[in-house]
Amino acid sequence: MVPFQYNARSLWVRKVTTLATAFGIALVVFVFAGALMLGDVSRVLAAAGRADTVIILRKGSDAELTSAIANDYLGLFRGPPQVSQAGGVIGEIVVVVIAEHADGSGSSNVLVRGTPPEGIAFRPEIKIISGRAPKPGTNEVIVGKAISGRFKGLSAGQSIDLRRNRPLQVVGEFTAGGASYESEVWGDLDYVRNALGREAVVSSARVRLNSSADFDAYRQIIETDKRYSMKVMRESDYYEKQSQQTAAFLKTLGLVVAILFSLAAMIGAAITMNGAVAHRSREIGTLRALGFSRRAILASFLIEAIVLAVVGGIIGSALVLVLSVLVSFPVINFQTFSEIVISFHATPAVFVKSLVFSGVMGLIGGLVPAIRAARVSPIEAMRA
Amino acid sequence: MNLATYARRNLFRRRGRTILTIMAVTLAVVIFCAIRTFIVAWNSGADEAAADRIATRHKVSITMQLPKHYIEELREIPGIKAATWANWFGAKDPKERLPFFAGLAVDHNSWFDVEDEMSVPPDQLAAWKETANGAILGDQLAKALEVQVGSRLVITSDIYPGDWEFKVVGIYTPRRKTVDRNTLVFRWDYLNNDSRAVYSKEHLGWMVSRITDSAQSADISRRIDAKFDSRDDQTLTMSERAFALSFLGGFAAVLTAFNWVSLVILLIMTLILANTLAMSVRERTHEYGVLRAIGFPPGHILGFILGESLLIALVGGVIGVGLVALVINHALGPAMEANMSGVFQHFFTPGWVLVVALGAAAVLGLVAGAVPAILASRLKITDALRRLG
Repeated sequence: MVPFQYNARSLWVRKVTTLATAFGIALVVFVFAGALMLGDVSRVLAAAGRADTVIILRKGSDAELTSAIANDYLGLFRGPPQVSQAGGVIGEIVVVVIAEHADGSGSSNVLVRGTPPEGIAFRPEIKIISGRAPKPGTNEVIVGKAISGRFKGLSAGQSIDLRRNRPLQVVGEFTAGGASYESEVWGDLDYVRNALGREAVVSSARVRLNSSADFDAYRQIIETDKRYSMKVMRESDYYEKQSQQTAAFLKTLGLVVAILFSLAAMIGAAITMNGAVAHRSREIGTLRALGFSRRAILASFLIEAIVLAVVGGIIGSALVLVLSVLVSFPVINFQTFSEIVISFHATPAVFVKSLVFSGVMGLIGGLVPAIRAARVSPIEAMRA
Repeated sequence: MNLATYARRNLFRRRGRTILTIMAVTLAVVIFCAIRTFIVAWNSGADEAAADRIATRHKVSITMQLPKHYIEELREIPGIKAATWANWFGAKDPKERLPFFAGLAVDHNSWFDVEDEMSVPPDQLAAWKETANGAILGDQLAKALEVQVGSRLVITSDIYPGDWEFKVVGIYTPRRKTVDRNTLVFRWDYLNNDSRAVYSKEHLGWMVSRITDSAQSADISRRIDAKFDSRDDQTLTMSERAFALSFLGGFAAVLTAFNWVSLVILLIMTLILANTLAMSVRERTHEYGVLRAIGFPPGHILGFILGESLLIALVGGVIGVGLVALVINHALGPAMEANMSGVFQHFFTPGWVLVVALGAAAVLGLVAGAVPAILASRLKITDALRRLG
């Protein structure tokens, strides 16, 4: 084996070239990691779902937004023995309203959830981080942390109109353990539905079961009851299904771009390594004359290419770290046409994948130059 | 031998490297054009919406509806030539032959007068007015759902329970390329008379107006919204394009991200090009010293290097642009339009994208060459001569 120091020093001697190539690779890794993290939208949505909680929608509806259930049914949903007496049943109304971006860059749909007084306690992960909880029966609302401040009228102390003369008054801000609830506005069930002219109707019902194993039995009871025509899903499955389309779309798009980009980066690596081989043919000849085998030369140049690329990978990861701290990214939930804000979440897995990806780019880009290096004839090289 | 010959021979002294660099530039230009094409295609349906049409929706939410009588009041507003309305039906194919298509309950007396880029034969239009459960489909949708004029069609809805049965009375064809060919329209009165539509009884989803003078669209929009401003259900009027985009407001961020990403590829290209130039210049420093020593001024050295950089970038750019014109516009684009017309009705790289791509390649070629060129031209002759290749 040719000592690794030889490669490290060779890269160091050609600082500018090394850095230019590594930085190109860093940009590709940056895009790659960004795509991986965007695909993460499923994590954000799925975080809201619990296995021991059931969501009930009108049969045929795929989302809370398009579903409607008469209020009277809520009492019936509570009937079966699988329902937890502590958690119980809540019915909520969901609507999207258009809101203008605070920075003036157009507008987006925001999801407003009208929840009964026990709705916040139903989800223990909800924490009020500033202001206070809304008073039941009033027009007070709390805003999820992810969208707080992003829209005009959706910061503490401000208000937006749900309809003429029916404003929603923001009194606080909440978090929900990273779940998509953080991209919603929560108000009082009766106030919201009265303002919408939908008295006695809810969009969805959520039922807490005694245990997640009770799901099949409970679903059987509700779905076979001819009175209802309802769809019963585990809350966790519902959210996973919601995010599938968006997540798959973003991930595919992002990865296609990253892979195309990596072709360019590999060409860049190949150019640099080719230059290195041409420049150092005398050295290679000397190494061969000293007794290093062709295979050792091949390995040495491959290692150099991989190191070059991984340096790029490390720079790219550092850029990603900056991205994950500074930027949160709004994506659209195709089921509700509303905006969900996701923050780039740089997990260790993202870094590992990025470094492996950069290593592979180096390996492929460096392959042909390394073969060329291995083929250098010691006699000719030293004569040149 | 003159300067041009020298420059040309320099270019191919390291043939492998030059070819790889040209490939990198080509690739970058192709990717840049492809991303731009994607963005353009995504917006195109909305982009080419007729300028003389405006849409009026509920001010607060796309899910909230307006009282039916709003349409009569709207039609009285001066400047409006014709107006129609539609309700979103949330149509789904029970056999899931296609993931998504637009289903609208519309006013059969006025819909195709306003949305006149959808062309329906007069006899089919007449039949629609006679058939309460009649539906008219886009030609592509009809193909996907395997129906012809006269067929029975059952669809379900995200919003209204149960099966909905229609009789296909007509097929519309597009008059322009950007018209969605995957829409189903049926009669609004059919929906309104059904007991399952109790929540939307005598309500409409949105109104579309054709105006007499497209230059006045902002004024007329304001007039409409002012008329309904004191009501419980206020309206928001905008161009039909803005209306189409408002459904996908949150998607704008993805497009913005793509905008940035398309610049990143150009940056990568510049780095690769600069690296190639830097390597070549380093190898030739001794020669540049010789050239200077025999009397060539520094400006010539600068010119050689910048010229070489520009040439590589332009060759790569021209090949890239040519490939894009050939592949996207003649093979991939038509295939996308045929298979994904729900998303991309018009997948085509417009000329300006090609021009911008080529221009960007040229400018970045000069930028990439600038640093090595300036450094090389400033080098002292003695220092340059001391360097060995």
